[in-house]
Amino acid sequence: MKRKEILEQNISRMVKSAGDSNRPSDAFCDSLVDRAIAELDAPDTDQVQRKRKSFMRIRFLKITAYAAGILVICGIGASVLLQTFTSQSDRGERAINDSDPLYYRLPAKSIEGEESPLVRESRKFAQRLRDQDKPRPMMPKPAMKRIMLAPVMKSKIPPPPMLQKTTSQPASSPSRSPVIGKPYVPSEAPNRHPMAHGGTTPPNAEAYDAMFFKNYGVNPFVDTDDDHLSTFATDVDTGSFTVCRRYLLDGNLPPNDAVRVEEFVNYFDYGYAAPQEDTFRIYAEAAPWSEWTGRQNSYLVRFGLKAMEVSDANRKPAILTFVIDVSGSMNRENRLGLVKKSLRMLVKRLRPKDKIGIAVYGSQGRKVLDHVNVKKKKKILAAIDSLQAGGSTFAEQGIRIGYEMADVAYKEGCINRVILCSDGVANVGRTGHEQILEVIKDKADKGITLSALGFGMGNYNDVLLERLGDKGNGYYAYIDTIDEAKRLFDGNLTGALQVVARDVKIQVDFNPEVVRSYRLIGYENRDVADDKFRDDKEDGGEMGAGHSATALYEIKLWQDKTGPVATTYIRYKDPDTRQVTEFNSQIATADFHESFDEATDAFALAAVVTEFAEVLRKSYWAKDKTLDDVLQRAQQLSKKFEEDTDAIELVDLISRAKKIMPPHSSDKQTGENEDVFVDP
Amino acid sequence: MPVAENAEQLRPAALADDAETWRALLKRAIPMIYGLFVRRRLNPGLAEELVQQTVFDAVRGRGSFDAGKGTAEQWMLGIARNNLALEMRKRATRPSLDGDISTYLAGIDTAPLPDEVLEKAETARLVRAALDELDEREQKVLRAKYLDDLPARTIAQGMGITEKAVHSLLYRARNSLREKLKILHPLNEEEAK
Repeated sequence: MKRKEILEQNISRMVKSAGDSNRPSDAFCDSLVDRAIAELDAPDTDQVQRKRKSFMRIRFLKITAYAAGILVICGIGASVLLQTFTSQSDRGERAINDSDPLYYRLPAKSIEGEESPLVRESRKFAQRLRDQDKPRPMMPKPAMKRIMLAPVMKSKIPPPPMLQKTTSQPASSPSRSPVIGKPYVPSEAPNRHPMAHGGTTPPNAEAYDAMFFKNYGVNPFVDTDDDHLSTFATDVDTGSFTVCRRYLLDGNLPPNDAVRVEEFVNYFDYGYAAPQEDTFRIYAEAAPWSEWTGRQNSYLVRFGLKAMEVSDANRKPAILTFVIDVSGSMNRENRLGLVKKSLRMLVKRLRPKDKIGIAVYGSQGRKVLDHVNVKKKKKILAAIDSLQAGGSTFAEQGIRIGYEMADVAYKEGCINRVILCSDGVANVGRTGHEQILEVIKDKADKGITLSALGFGMGNYNDVLLERLGDKGNGYYAYIDTIDEAKRLFDGNLTGALQVVARDVKIQVDFNPEVVRSYRLIGYENRDVADDKFRDDKEDGGEMGAGHSATALYEIKLWQDKTGPVATTYIRYKDPDTRQVTEFNSQIATADFHESFDEATDAFALAAVVTEFAEVLRKSYWAKDKTLDDVLQRAQQLSKKFEEDTDAIELVDLISRAKKIMPPHSSDKQTGENEDVFVDP
Repeated sequence: MPVAENAEQLRPAALADDAETWRALLKRAIPMIYGLFVRRRLNPGLAEELVQQTVFDAVRGRGSFDAGKGTAEQWMLGIARNNLALEMRKRATRPSLDGDISTYLAGIDTAPLPDEVLEKAETARLVRAALDELDEREQKVLRAKYLDDLPARTIAQGMGITEKAVHSLLYRARNSLREKLKILHPLNEEEAK
């Protein structure tokens, strides 16, 4: 259990103990009664009796097996004794023949080197009994297909390094030996977690085993004389932030590759007001940033895009298909328990006419519940509660079954979505990940989107889950606690479900007369070729109702130049009609704040989050910065965000990271293409 | 077969899947079972856990109810006593408390507090004193959340703030209570003298 959860549990129990009532609260009684009534409809409701019968049956079989074993041993023992006596008489004849009276007293062996068949058999049997206690060597299975993703980078940024697998070892058990290179050996013991592909006991003092992240590089400064256009797809995913938060709350530093700056930035609420009539509203703000960066004429520019809001009452009906990973690894840290709690919460927020279907996958994929209306809540909750973890991870089959169900239940004008809940898709089956991604993309184009929800640390594939969410025209989120599930499903459920704009792309056209160079901070894996901005077949990002996306640039202006700085173009499709809309907005130096302190609190918050992410991922552009610097700014800012739990938590996370991070890290900075300017 | 003492006691034949009958039974039985545990000096958090355990055991094992042996409430109380006995047996095998409660309170965010610590009168006194030192809003939100078990939405409506502000207030209140306990627990008081 995590520290925050332990504290909350202890506080809860202590406060209850300090109360002096002999009655439970009404809320407790009502909630328990409702859950108990739901249990009436659960499948296998006589679980206790069936378990008891099954237990008795197993006991009986065990007793019978032991008794049979004892009888066999006694029988063999008796035979041995019989053989000994008979062979002694034989030996006696030979001894007479050999003239050596000692042979009479030799056990078992009648003539040296010769054993009687019965003795030989009993010796072999005894050896077999001894061998049963030793682990049997397994024939290694062929290594499972590794998930190697092609680099996503296009245009001017060179391809990143190949997929880097991070295997890790719990800090508390340094004595474990590294096992890199050992073949995959599946576990047969029912209670052991299937070993993660790519790593078992983690080496190299890493925090968790088999965590898969990808290094997408760090955007360089781009000279506007070379290229004044910056184009990318929007992103509302938050998985990177929540994964890194989990690392920090567990007392570990996240790997550099786990940090995606845009997902850190987009986790926070900057208070953008929603448009009244249009689909989007765009915000722009800029302020000097040299004080932080140490680079002359450096400015931070923030663009914010806010999507229209849709009330819960006006939300389209939802037809959701849960595809749930119930492989053995979901037993770790009770991940499946968290999945169930999260889905129960989601079910309770849905409307009676919404529909839910459930498919699962472990060693096999299967349907658990055909689509039913949410008004049959008990049936849905019972199906969720009945899920148990075990077996390997045949994700491909589970996802296919989920899509087959979604196809059958598909209805025009509704939100048709597959929600994948997994801790990491170690084995996507024989056909490989690209085929699955193609299927998902194809279905998304036809109107069945997919969102990927990640759970658990260790055996977790961030790379693939993010791609699934991206290809599925949905989103990717990581859920480590029930609070995060509440945030996702309780906070803005309509936004989580209803897409208001598809293939959203942004192109910023910098004015080379005023702007010398620019650097997009983050979005490295969302790059779009400049000439594809108006290609409507080119994939962009999806944005749900009420969602916002923030993009930050560091720009350097020519000395003493003023005037128009940039025109920002937004292009997107209507999710229903596929009609394309484009609009733009300008920002000029006259709109810039005179100093950083004049900027809004939301701007300052975005800057601190960016600085934190840049230091954590060891960005070249923050190489002279430490978390001390970030923490100071965060603490000053937090006084203005007393009502914002996320901002308060940010300070805590920076503080934790500061305690863990070595004072002068000698790790190589992340950033392959550093355009280092020589300032005039 | 025992005669029903009053018309409200459940008739054996109704212990099937009838939701309304079960609802009526549970509304009567839950406070009785809870009272049983609290009178045996179990802390309220543990009492709630055992009540839940008892209720689910009853629902799942309803086929084993024998009308000839008593009413449904009596049957459920029997299950409750069994669960209580199991809990006591578990405690007997655990090592006794090592050190005074301050040792445990110092680790309030690293390990669950043992039930025995929560059941000490000294702990309750300390927690009440710490709660009284918090500011009014923090006290109110902690009591609403943990004594009254109200959801954040209801608390927000009652306090006239947003749900997000409730979460934020809870976060601060928990941390404040932790700090107050550290200041107030006996070890620190002795050192201060």
